[in-house]
Amino acid sequence: MGPHIVSAFDDDLIAVQAKISEMGGLAEELLSNALDAVETRDAELAQQVVEQDRRLNRLEMELEELATQVIALRQPMAQDLRVLLAAIKTGSTLERIGDLSKNIARRAIYLSKSRPVQLSSSIVRMGQMTLGALTEILDAHTSRDTELAVAIWRRDQEIDEVYNAIFREVVTYMMDDNRTIGLGSQLLFIAKNLERIGDLTTHIAENIYYIEQGEPLSDDRPKGDPIGLDIGI
Amino acid sequence: MKANDMTNMRMTDAQTQKREIKIAARDVDVFYGDTHAIKNVSVDIADNMVTAFIGPSGCGKSTFLRCLNRMNDTIDIARIEGRIEIDGEDIYAAAVDPVLLRARVGMVFQKPNPFPKSIYDNVAYGPRIHGLVNNKAELDDVVEQSLRRAAMWDEVKDRLDQPGTGLSGGQQQRLCIARAIATAPEVLLMDEPCSALDPIATAQIEELIDELRSNYSVVIVTHSMQQAARVSQRTAFFHLGTLVEYGETTQIFTNPEDQRTQDYITGRFG
Repeated sequence: MGPHIVSAFDDDLIAVQAKISEMGGLAEELLSNALDAVETRDAELAQQVVEQDRRLNRLEMELEELATQVIALRQPMAQDLRVLLAAIKTGSTLERIGDLSKNIARRAIYLSKSRPVQLSSSIVRMGQMTLGALTEILDAHTSRDTELAVAIWRRDQEIDEVYNAIFREVVTYMMDDNRTIGLGSQLLFIAKNLERIGDLTTHIAENIYYIEQGEPLSDDRPKGDPIGLDIGI
Repeated sequence: MKANDMTNMRMTDAQTQKREIKIAARDVDVFYGDTHAIKNVSVDIADNMVTAFIGPSGCGKSTFLRCLNRMNDTIDIARIEGRIEIDGEDIYAAAVDPVLLRARVGMVFQKPNPFPKSIYDNVAYGPRIHGLVNNKAELDDVVEQSLRRAAMWDEVKDRLDQPGTGLSGGQQQRLCIARAIATAPEVLLMDEPCSALDPIATAQIEELIDELRSNYSVVIVTHSMQQAARVSQRTAFFHLGTLVEYGETTQIFTNPEDQRTQDYITGRFG
């Protein structure tokens, strides 16, 4: 699409996109640091994540205010309107991803105080998949790449499957040795948080699709069974 | 406005589609001398609905509107080809008297143009010349009903003998609407009826348009996209004499199909 006749309108839309990119970058950093904190048992790094999450919340409020102002002052139509509505939704999604990363970091603090477990490594692998999807969806958002967005949307099923595998593994572990129940529960919550971040990433994919196509992405996303019920016990 | 009214204002696609067709235009071309002003336009305009024509200046939207009550007949060099039917009847047929046609298809213009007569006589003019009433009592009744429908009876009922030109701009425009509906038309054409009015008077006219559609088929040409979005159920986008896109107003303004429509309504070309 070409530029607006009123160029200040373009500046407003660029400012909205810049704010989303800033939020996206920070959400990525929070998730990445939270995973590192789990992997390296680094309570200090985990504590930083908890504090940085406040900045993400502030950015979301700024984005919402900016988008509201543009809607009120420019009265956008068609794709411009969709960009702004999607911006508000994407901002709120990124803020949720920040909250879940913070929750992972809190659990990393707990884990750093207990004895190391082999299981953390499969959680870290799941974390890398989730982080990879988030990074890619942010790229797709910047370049408005619908094809990439839909590919990531479909791929979330793989994260669901890994979640189920971890669930099974952790439950088995806890059954073998009931002294690990406290620790195992923390790992289950971390895995669940990652699974939720995967879902939220698909919401961003849906927003990209809506901006470009003007209609919602269909509801039949291939889903695993991300509640961990098929563990056969 | 109550939340409830907002939902009532918008009809679903299914509702707009089952409306009866009031005006059917087929393959209409208009020439002004050598200038090809309207190019092969076909459009169905539904009854009891507001249809908005939008597009940049010179796109042909006013020209096309003026074809619907043969106002272009008054321009010597204008030539119209194609077929326009109202209720299935060809309005360009030899047997049609354009003066009677214009009583059935009323028109309101950009600038309020009341006659230099009293408020009463402005409204009474049409019914008188067309012989629509038999006596003074009937005429009084038509004047009152028309002014009521134009939502200004209470404002002017005590000064019907005063000149229409003494009213405010918004009142003058509503007087012109009262004058247009006094001949009991079936279609009301409006050529930028609010462009000379302030926002309050504009809102009053828009409210009036929404009420008028229960009795008439209303076609409005407007330069204000927001106005088209607010008052119409269907929108037609004209560009360079062609009809680019025609559809549900909600669809045109949220997800237009044609790139040119998108560029125009989002302010990307003029």
